[in-house]
Amino acid sequence: MKFFNDLPPMDHFRSENMSLVQLIMPVESAQHAVSYLGELGLLQFKDLNGDKSPFQRTFVNQVKRCSEMSRKLRFFADQISKAGVTTYPNPDSEEVIDLEQLEAGRFLGSAQNHLVMAETELVENTYSIKNEDRLSLLEQPEPSKKAGLRFISGIICKSKELIFERMLFRATRGNMFFNQAPAGEQVMDPVSGEMVHKTVFVVFFSGDQARSKILKICQAFGANCYPVPEENNKQKQLTHEVSLRLSELEATLDAGTCHRNKALASIGSQLWNWTIMVKKEKSVYDTLNMLNFDVTKKCLVGEGWCPTFAKPQIKEALHQATIHSNSQVGIIFHDMDSSESPPTYFRTNRFTNAFQEIVDAYGVARFQEANPAVYSVITFPFLFAVMFGDWGHGLCLLFGSLVLILREKKLGSQKLGSFMEIAFGGRYVLLLMAFFSIYCGLIYNEFFSIPFYIFGESAYKCRSTDCSDAQTAGLIKFRDPYPFGVDPKWRGSRSELPFLNSLKMKMSILLGVCQMNLGIILSYFDAKFHGNPLDIQYQFIPQIIFLNSLFGYLALLIVIKWCTGSQADLYHVMIYMFLDPFGNLGENQLFWGQKELQMLLLILAVVAVPWMLFPKPFILKKQHTERFQGRTYGFLGTSEMDLDHEPDSARHQHQEDFNFSEVFVHQMIHSIEFVLGAVSNTASYLRLWALSLAHSELSTVFYEKLLLLAWGYDSIIIRIAGLAVFAFATAFILLMMETLSAFLHALRLHWVEFMNKFYHGDGYKFKPFSFKALADEED
Amino acid sequence: MGFMATSIIFFAAGLIASLLVRLCFNRGASTNLFHLTLIITATVCCWMMWAIVYLAQLKPLIVPILSEAE
Repeated sequence: MKFFNDLPPMDHFRSENMSLVQLIMPVESAQHAVSYLGELGLLQFKDLNGDKSPFQRTFVNQVKRCSEMSRKLRFFADQISKAGVTTYPNPDSEEVIDLEQLEAGRFLGSAQNHLVMAETELVENTYSIKNEDRLSLLEQPEPSKKAGLRFISGIICKSKELIFERMLFRATRGNMFFNQAPAGEQVMDPVSGEMVHKTVFVVFFSGDQARSKILKICQAFGANCYPVPEENNKQKQLTHEVSLRLSELEATLDAGTCHRNKALASIGSQLWNWTIMVKKEKSVYDTLNMLNFDVTKKCLVGEGWCPTFAKPQIKEALHQATIHSNSQVGIIFHDMDSSESPPTYFRTNRFTNAFQEIVDAYGVARFQEANPAVYSVITFPFLFAVMFGDWGHGLCLLFGSLVLILREKKLGSQKLGSFMEIAFGGRYVLLLMAFFSIYCGLIYNEFFSIPFYIFGESAYKCRSTDCSDAQTAGLIKFRDPYPFGVDPKWRGSRSELPFLNSLKMKMSILLGVCQMNLGIILSYFDAKFHGNPLDIQYQFIPQIIFLNSLFGYLALLIVIKWCTGSQADLYHVMIYMFLDPFGNLGENQLFWGQKELQMLLLILAVVAVPWMLFPKPFILKKQHTERFQGRTYGFLGTSEMDLDHEPDSARHQHQEDFNFSEVFVHQMIHSIEFVLGAVSNTASYLRLWALSLAHSELSTVFYEKLLLLAWGYDSIIIRIAGLAVFAFATAFILLMMETLSAFLHALRLHWVEFMNKFYHGDGYKFKPFSFKALADEED
Repeated sequence: MGFMATSIIFFAAGLIASLLVRLCFNRGASTNLFHLTLIITATVCCWMMWAIVYLAQLKPLIVPILSEAE
């Protein structure tokens, strides 16, 4: 044990030491200080104004101004994308935001809109006149004029035309004549900015009331009415006028568009920089809102968590801020005591980041608790590989993960789809999974379910030279076992499944017992680190004894049975260990003294259960009464109490009542969970067998029933088709679905069976105020 | 090759891997310990996998019975 004490602390095993610090900044240097701290990204500010609404905070006006400016910038981004101007962000230049330039650009944008609307109207007008002219819609003999028949002409969206006509019919009670013709080209609708089909129409009616009704309906439907004179030469004149005006307006519009595009292009290269700057400013003001003013109203006081190793860097940043803001007074930075639990911070690199996130997805570690990610880096891909074992599929995974890793820089800077992002984030996990899959595939001797004779000759041969009884009595083993992995002669034999099932089930139990023991041992190291001898004596020791006297013993029996080749029935042994401990073992005897050993282990297991259940609550109660002796009176609410309570949030001392029944029930739940969990968790590891069997069977089926079947035919087309179907089935079902499935089950084995032996996972993550995190969040 | 011989080969491979990692990726005592933990875990996992499969085939209770179409 002393050996473990002398070792240096291991990286990633426990979260970083954190300190609660207090900053006192003069107002003039506050903004600089906070933005330099944001660049550094190592301080998590506590919100000291948590009970205030957003409008009661100090810097609310500045925050509003920043929001307003970011709204304007978004408007520009919209305009740029609508105008189709491509801009190239220029990250080098750092110009200050020029508000006048922004305003000018905005004005151009709105002027543009007006011109577009005017143009549309004229175009519509032209069309209506042209069409009516062309289709002789106004072909009326003289008598109609005398009859007082009048008409209204206009243009309406094609989609609304039918309803429009029906409405007019109903409104005028059928006393109208409606004629329409398509307008030809598409016209740009100024409201929506899209190109729509329009129809020219003309409505003949009589009477004034009908006229007003029709005009109102036209207005409601957004149909534009244009007057068309009846005589031919007047029409020609009008067309000529309209065309002239149209060409003028088009020229103006072109010039306007040119000018606008130039302005947008010049803004566009700066737009991204400005957006980032505004975002940073807003976040700085949000952070400043979390600080308190002190009594003199000249300084801002803030509290926050920072890692202990980062304190010199933070001091340096604050010093820089003091210099750059030309402040006379330096910023005060000092430690504070706290009684609340600090946040959890692990300094991960790009390799360990994915594994840490896998563990954090279950629960963020409590402050300075043993981190299962250290072991998960290896055991998670290993358990995955036990379920996935096929070195052909492993090679495919390796290829895929290498592609992701070699193009790391390029893929890291682009925006990826959600599936690719997950795959890219887990590229190192995939790499390790691939390596272990290749290893396990070599052990199971499966390459797309084909065995190979890589490591030498098989250990089995026929009994007689003509192999006459190979199909009935089978081969015999004449040499040492196959040196590495499963003997290739097993594949395809009739007794393959009984052998492999027995092997894989026993393997699952052995691996499971080992991982659970590792979990319990980690709880020992946790208890030692936190100076908790109670946990060691009354939790760790009975847990180890219970688990190993039952399932450790089973693992031992498995190994002994393998080594001696005995025919003992282990189910029988385990069950009758409980049902009939004094009975004779008979042919299930594996070693001398087995009965006595079994009785001893049974007694140890039975003793271990009350050992982990009863002593701890009583001892805790005794300790509590000793510590808080004499403080059994409640607090009186006098004015003297207020001096003890400082406005800082982290210094509250709680007088905890010791609720014995709660502690006892908690301990009982914990013990029951462990005892029952020992059986269920061990059985849960059998999923290693189940998934590995499923993978192997699927692989065999695809190989035999797709590839071999197709290869049996002589035709090249059928062979290629078979190969293609085999490739698709392997890629989608085996590589994608099985990978996800094995990943999920390996994850469950870690999260539940391994971590519930020692992990609490009720901490909170360290979220520093950092501009880089802001940029990532936006994306 | 026997059980002991191959186990010694696994042990030696673990030793060599940890020495190589210490030479190439020497980054301070705590990180070295982390790397060593990873190597030890990997070696133990790989050895266990091999040993389980080897021991299971040492004195088998059933033998391969070939199927018809061989």
